Amino acid sequence: MTCNPDLWGLPAEELARRIRGREVSAAAALESALERTARVEPLVHAYLEIFEEAARARAGEIDREVAAGKDPGPLAGVPVALKDNLNLEGHRLTCASRILEGYVAPYTATAVQRLLDAGAVIVGRANMDEFAMGSSCENSAYQETRNPWDVATVPGGSSGGPAAAVAAGSVAVGIGSDTGGSVRQPAALCGVVGVKPTYGRVSRYGLVAFASSTDQIGPIARGVRDAALVTQVIAGHDAMDSTSAERPVGDLLATIEEGIAGMRIGVVKEIDVVLAAQAAAAAPGPAPNDMAASFRAALAALEQAGAELVEVSIPSLEAAIAVYYVIATSEASANLARFDGVRYGRRSPGAASLSEVYFDSRSEGFGAEVKRRIMLGTFALSSGYYEAYYGKACAVLAQMRAELTAAFGRADVVVTPTTPSAAFRLGEKVDDPLAMYLSDIYTTPASLVGLPAVAVPSGFDGQGLPLSLQIMGRPFEEATVFRAARAFERQAGWQVAPRFRGAEVGAG
Amino acid sequence: MALTTEEVRKIASLARLRFTPEEEAAFAGQLGKIVDYIDQLQRLEAGAGSAPLAPLPPISLAAPEDDDSPGPCLPRETFLANAPAVLDGFLLVPEVRRTSTADARQVPAAGPGVGDDL
Repeated sequence: MTCNPDLWGLPAEELARRIRGREVSAAAALESALERTARVEPLVHAYLEIFEEAARARAGEIDREVAAGKDPGPLAGVPVALKDNLNLEGHRLTCASRILEGYVAPYTATAVQRLLDAGAVIVGRANMDEFAMGSSCENSAYQETRNPWDVATVPGGSSGGPAAAVAAGSVAVGIGSDTGGSVRQPAALCGVVGVKPTYGRVSRYGLVAFASSTDQIGPIARGVRDAALVTQVIAGHDAMDSTSAERPVGDLLATIEEGIAGMRIGVVKEIDVVLAAQAAAAAPGPAPNDMAASFRAALAALEQAGAELVEVSIPSLEAAIAVYYVIATSEASANLARFDGVRYGRRSPGAASLSEVYFDSRSEGFGAEVKRRIMLGTFALSSGYYEAYYGKACAVLAQMRAELTAAFGRADVVVTPTTPSAAFRLGEKVDDPLAMYLSDIYTTPASLVGLPAVAVPSGFDGQGLPLSLQIMGRPFEEATVFRAARAFERQAGWQVAPRFRGAEVGAG
Repeated sequence: MALTTEEVRKIASLARLRFTPEEEAAFAGQLGKIVDYIDQLQRLEAGAGSAPLAPLPPISLAAPEDDDSPGPCLPRETFLANAPAVLDGFLLVPEVRRTSTADARQVPAAGPGVGDDL
């Protein structure tokens, strides 16, 4: 079969259909993706490593299965990029950190195994903020990833690599992890769809832990149907993860085209306050106002599609960042204690005692943001401060859970903007960690309370950069969230190919 | 609330991290600013008296009903392949030095660089 140069642009669903139907080969699909990647990668730097040889072998396997009359599965031959915190046996994994330089995954994560079982071809490991801590991908120890819409801006984070790879057309599907918005925020900034499934929906076995009470694995794709398809593939109970829920997943695509006539869509009252405060605070740039206008237009589109808008109230929204950055850093300080230079990862070459192994390996191996969060978490858990910070954050979280539960009594889904603004410029927030944290205001509540949420493109700001709508649902009601997201996608239709502004484009 | 350099040093020690004086000063400022922001939590009345001890899992997780029976785990060689130093199938680390002067029963360390680290 000849190499079809346009295969890279197909949705995963359509590509797999053609490969299963023997219209095209997995090998041709992969070559198309690799050619596209070779073209765009010098502009966006999405990957830390491309598994060219392994991917070719895998695509050949898929083609042999198809030739032998077997069905490789719903992702047959679909090229997929993994965030570099997901284990794939025999391949390197670094979490974009120096401390894991040279680490080779000793086993395969359950979610990744499920992708493979569905016929996917893993093409590489994509860049991220170190240990998934960041909102711009600038905390990677290895490289800066660029946003395909404007290469002077960030792709978001922490799953900036997979999001940029999907937006740039390198792969149809990226897999990220979302602890406080790390799939949804980069998807929003790159103009693609990102999913944070319900806590417990996708097994975390084989995902390097950051904050265990919120970490979830989720897909990034160019359309809602692909995002639902991949969620379907990776979801479901796994005995290897004790936090994985024994709940049936159902068919997430079965009702996705049914529309939202009569669906009650909750609009969070407090958003107006947040948007107004933000507009007042942000002197330079018209971005927040653009976001407010875009959000109002999104609400109008949902209403036009037949939904009923209802007002809901989440007074604790304003405190979400504070709660999140206490709880997540506390958990991170404990989870990252395992990186001590003893069992795996980098050991400081000069360490002459066990204690020096700990102190030197960690001090030399972790980057600034990871250290900052470990310090903050250690502080919040330390004697004398525990009650005031960690205890108080847990109490406010209980309040937030109660408010959201009440909101979902009135509404079937709840919508907010995904982010306060479109992509910001590289370097703009590097020296102001708090400003960086504030970009997670809308995504942290669903993380803290464990709700499913989807980020879906909702237009552009005045600079031509993508904006995004977040749709949250009740626990385990991913199907409802996808149905709403798909209806919005059809109604608003914002999928456009990125323009690689600021770079000499060989895209096309 | 501004953190003192002394406090930063204490937290760093608990976290097994070491900083240069310049880094300590920078961290004191940055962490202080973040802690100031987080202090908004103190103004909230939420959950008084019913504070949970931990962020409850958002879903009720059923206790596993499986037998607690031994199963296959990561083979030792596979695990050790990522270790920085190995000896006869075990992780190898430098000598564990005395942790305090009170704990003098430990074998005194031979070789250069003897000192209390913790």
